[in-house]
Amino acid sequence: MTPSWILDILAGLMLLVAAISAGRLVAARAWAGPAGEADIDVAHLLMGIAMAGMLVAGLTTLPNGVWDAIFAVLTAWFGWRVYRESRREGVRVLADGHRMPHLVHSAAMLYMFAALNAPAASSGGGMSGMGGGSGMAMSTLSVPVVAFIFALWLSVYVVLDLDCLSGPGHTRGSYFAAPALAGATAGTRSVSLAAASAAPAGTSARVAVAPEQPANGGTPMSAGGDRPASASRPARGLLLSPQVAAGCRIAMGVTMAFMLIIMI
Amino acid sequence: MSDIAVADGEAARRGNARTAAVDSWRPPDAKRVLQLSLAAIWLLDGVLQYQSFMFTKGFGQMLAGTASGNPGVVASPITWDANLVEHHAVLLNTIFATIQLLLALGIAWRPTLRIALAASVAWALGVWWFGEGLGEVLNSAASPVNGAPGAVIIYALLAVLLWPSDRHAATAPFAAARAVGAPVARALWLVLWGSLAYFALMPDNRAPQALHDMIAGMASGEPGWLAALENHAASLVANQGLAASVVLAVALVVIAVGVYLPRPAARATVVLAIVVAAVIWVFGEAFGAILAGGATDPNSGLLLILLAAAYWPVRTVVTAPAATQPVGTEGARA
Repeated sequence: MTPSWILDILAGLMLLVAAISAGRLVAARAWAGPAGEADIDVAHLLMGIAMAGMLVAGLTTLPNGVWDAIFAVLTAWFGWRVYRESRREGVRVLADGHRMPHLVHSAAMLYMFAALNAPAASSGGGMSGMGGGSGMAMSTLSVPVVAFIFALWLSVYVVLDLDCLSGPGHTRGSYFAAPALAGATAGTRSVSLAAASAAPAGTSARVAVAPEQPANGGTPMSAGGDRPASASRPARGLLLSPQVAAGCRIAMGVTMAFMLIIMI
Repeated sequence: MSDIAVADGEAARRGNARTAAVDSWRPPDAKRVLQLSLAAIWLLDGVLQYQSFMFTKGFGQMLAGTASGNPGVVASPITWDANLVEHHAVLLNTIFATIQLLLALGIAWRPTLRIALAASVAWALGVWWFGEGLGEVLNSAASPVNGAPGAVIIYALLAVLLWPSDRHAATAPFAAARAVGAPVARALWLVLWGSLAYFALMPDNRAPQALHDMIAGMASGEPGWLAALENHAASLVANQGLAASVVLAVALVVIAVGVYLPRPAARATVVLAIVVAAVIWVFGEAFGAILAGGATDPNSGLLLILLAAAYWPVRTVVTAPAATQPVGTEGARA
């Protein structure tokens, strides 16, 4: 069996991701107002809690049916967001759209909960039989080819995220630029997509093209644009930085691929 | 509101935001895409290594099985290593899996690309010996259909070909030649595919039922649809071992020499290579038996497809500015 301490470590990592995502939600609200990334942080928060419960029985929080419903809603939500992106930017967003990875993550979670064949010895509701001493390897997934496809897809997103983070000017178009809204760097500004749509052919709307006029008479705006930047910028920069968001996504992608593979 | 960001606010205020933002991002070039594909496969390898079976004595016994048929000088270290793994399965397998995970992350993370690729070559060579028994190339069991010359050696080959050096970028006719040069890259391709053709014609592989048994044997433990696919494919080559081996060998020879042909013909042979590799991966290797559980890697078919992609001939090549690329992976093509 996959040693339980490995599952414990990953569960701890997922709880950390959940905590960071919760912190980002609070921080964005407190410092910057709605940043347009709340859905992603909410998704990370929920996925972190759900995955921790899948990995360790003692961390199970909700019945399977509830998680099914939650991830069905999240999948539908990100599907709609991707559809909207594709209307603006074309089918290219299916490959590198900003919300496409989150759609895949949500769909993978939905699949895991829907396709789980709990071990016969499982006690209590659904996933709780997976973790603890026995380990989640006792459980298997129906239609394992789907698990393999998701694992491969998630692996691709992990390496793309790492490449973007370490590449020159790590703002990889729409896929990566939006988290920068969180305002890690001085001078960063939010802009509307309407402005981006004015980009000439060839440049496309992948990247921002013009700043919005400050709504407060010229004071540099925070990520959400409705409050002035404050002295708390360093802390904000750390928590709301795109690197932290990408780090959460990488940790989640690796863990999710791990779970999918060991349950084949 | 759907938002996107301007990374350089100062430039934005100067009215140059459009140019600045567009310039800040460059899509990965062909070579980097191949490196990232290699990283993704290493990542898959890493998580496969965390499967339950790998933490049991069965994994050590599986390793010991690769010693069979090899000369003593090769087999003895395999047996020693297998015993070690059998007795310390949890510790050693955790290390193995974590190493592969780190190789994947290291290749994807640009500052560590070189060290990760170099480490992947060393690791792959070690696994080729201690984990795959040199791909069974020293005994009669090697066949291109079952993974010869060993999937892991193709990882090493790819790491060398995709090394982040563009010394030969100006004259490279394909991505795989940019680091080592076209003559060396072509020679490596010729040796690999030529050896596969040789293995296809070995006596054990051209026996009437050899290919049938090999393919039918892959059905065990697979999902119903894949088992049916394997059994159907096996029935097609029943008692046709010699004919099938000859056809396969001819295709492999054509592929081997294809890189020396003019561009249109070379492209056709690369397409043929991808098709043959895909057929091997699906029918001969059942996707590396991943769906049956207990696989340590996706086997050779997927790697051969990636390798073929690295040899895709390009029309023209121009030297590219490398100033902003920290690892020398830039190199635009017209």
